[in-house]
Amino acid sequence: MKLSSRRVPRLLPKDAPPDLRGRGRPDRSMQLLGTFLNGYMQAAAGAEYNDAVAGHNPDSALKLVVTEREIVAEDNDVAALTLASPTGAQLPIWHPGCHLDLHLPSGRRRQYSLCGNPSDRSSYRIAVRRIPTGAGGSIEMHGLEPGTEVTVRGPRNGFPFVGEGSALFVAGGIGITPIIAMVRAARILGMDWQFVYCGRSRDTMPFLDEIESWESDRVFVRTDDVYGYPTEGELLERAPAGGAVYCCGPTPMLDAVRRDFRQCPSTALHFERFGPPPILDGTPFEVQLISTGAVLDVAADASVLTAVKEQKPNVAYSCQQGFCGTCKVRVLSGEPEHLETRLTPEEQRDHMLICVSRARSGRLVLDL
Amino acid sequence: MSERKIVASDPGEVMLQARNVKFDWSDLPMHWVPGDPYTTHVLNVLHLLLPAGEHWFVDTFKEALPYIDDEKLRDDVIGFIGQEAVHAEAHTGVLVHLQAKGLDPTPFTDQMEWAFGKVLGSDSVTSLRSKNNLVERLALIAAIEHVTAFLGDWVLNADGLDRAGIHPTMLDLLRWHGAEEVEHRSVAYDTLRYFDKREVRRLRTFVVVVPLMAYIWMRGIIFLMKNDPELQSAPKSVRKPRSALWRKSVRRGTLPALTHVGRSMSRYLKKSYHPSQEGSTAQAVRYLASSPAAQAAAR
Repeated sequence: MKLSSRRVPRLLPKDAPPDLRGRGRPDRSMQLLGTFLNGYMQAAAGAEYNDAVAGHNPDSALKLVVTEREIVAEDNDVAALTLASPTGAQLPIWHPGCHLDLHLPSGRRRQYSLCGNPSDRSSYRIAVRRIPTGAGGSIEMHGLEPGTEVTVRGPRNGFPFVGEGSALFVAGGIGITPIIAMVRAARILGMDWQFVYCGRSRDTMPFLDEIESWESDRVFVRTDDVYGYPTEGELLERAPAGGAVYCCGPTPMLDAVRRDFRQCPSTALHFERFGPPPILDGTPFEVQLISTGAVLDVAADASVLTAVKEQKPNVAYSCQQGFCGTCKVRVLSGEPEHLETRLTPEEQRDHMLICVSRARSGRLVLDL
Repeated sequence: MSERKIVASDPGEVMLQARNVKFDWSDLPMHWVPGDPYTTHVLNVLHLLLPAGEHWFVDTFKEALPYIDDEKLRDDVIGFIGQEAVHAEAHTGVLVHLQAKGLDPTPFTDQMEWAFGKVLGSDSVTSLRSKNNLVERLALIAAIEHVTAFLGDWVLNADGLDRAGIHPTMLDLLRWHGAEEVEHRSVAYDTLRYFDKREVRRLRTFVVVVPLMAYIWMRGIIFLMKNDPELQSAPKSVRKPRSALWRKSVRRGTLPALTHVGRSMSRYLKKSYHPSQEGSTAQAVRYLASSPAAQAAAR
């Protein structure tokens, strides 16, 4: 007995938290747990890691070729592109709502929803609206002639569709691409569905021929030049009680649907979440990384995270909207402008979330 | 054969994104399963256990991120980290409420923070060894994620919780969390496979995780029942956790039957196991699109 009582405490971690019953000593169960886990980790993972046990996935990028290019809106600004494997191989399966991530010859990367037929495993179809005032990606996409090779990642599903029950689909403009695949599936599955397709005018709206061949009591093609801008709640008038609403379109339309959803009888609202919201009234500033001393410029319309990622591609982040807290970084000098919703006032004194927060002073020095 | 068969109603594998949520606990009673302190506290253990556990997940996966070259897996891990970070925060909100009601959870949560943060935190041994330590922790998390995916699937389908009249905000927290656990159930497993394709690490960690979780859970139930100020004057039959109370809750459908738990747990031991076979992504997606807390916080 004497021997064990002298030995046991030496094996047990001394820093274990206090006993649960308020006895003034470290909790014995926690000490035993700590001893066990320390011993286990030492025995199981004390040796060096051996790369040979890794099961690295193969690179998932596909090399596809443009096989067809077709203009699908009367204003000539929407092109549908068909992509297939140059060897004719079967393509990975996809579900309505999936998109492809295209690497363009210029190095740009753009995401496009699949709008073809999922049971055709030999090709993918996407549609692109040319935006002359955009960053150039859509113009480059429009210029892709049949025969061009493109690198593609995906398909990935950021807008999942559940083919059950009743649903209202609301599409605005080029937002039709994921929705058209969903409505086709809803028709095949025999769902109770309604579809409101909005656009400025008929000549800007792709796929009208096909859509107007569907059940006319379920389809409403709504153009601003005939009906004016939608009023509050108007887009959700056909929302089924207890059912789902799927919405894809320009930001003002999405915002209106999200705002009005509370008043409609449906219960589930599905929409695609796109990365970070645009930075509208930012000012440029600098950040310095303490590890390398590098000084990075943060542009008026860019985040600290974007700037840091270029230097440190493995910097951790997640929501990019200032609520999850993953990108919390210690601020060593300078005054941050906190635009997030996560940190406590104490944390804000010397930390910031670099995905959305900015600087009040000209330079921040970060513990990165 | 028919086109109907080709068009599955299931959305397949989905991309992961953290969702912001907003919960208002101001009118949550101490016993939010009405008249059932035992079930309340069995489920309250989640709030004690998860913040520390999920912070440990977040730190471990942050540590793993630089080693992951596969773009798809990286995206999954980034989404997973954000979801877990929001879960931890949401459960912490309940702890604040428990404290305000006179049940101080800190003796227990301090222990959890010590176990996850100190004992299982990243160590400072040489880099190759610490990578092995990292992979072991990823394997422990993959095993825990099998348990959480089971719990998520259970809570999404437990009609008994609706019938018992459980507080709607708490039910939403449990189902929102459960749905995201189902939604991201493959990430930890796929990450483990990325670093270690062998069965031995996967299985041994599971054998360690399940009894430890059961033990910690039991401690949590005993701790909560003992320190619940509203139970101080209750008769011993109410105050003392007994297996008969669990069986009663199983009959009401407010806790899972242990045989059901056992069967679900044992599936992890199969060679053909993959998390995608557990639970329903369609059900999770449908719940997440209708969760009041997610709708309240949506930007």
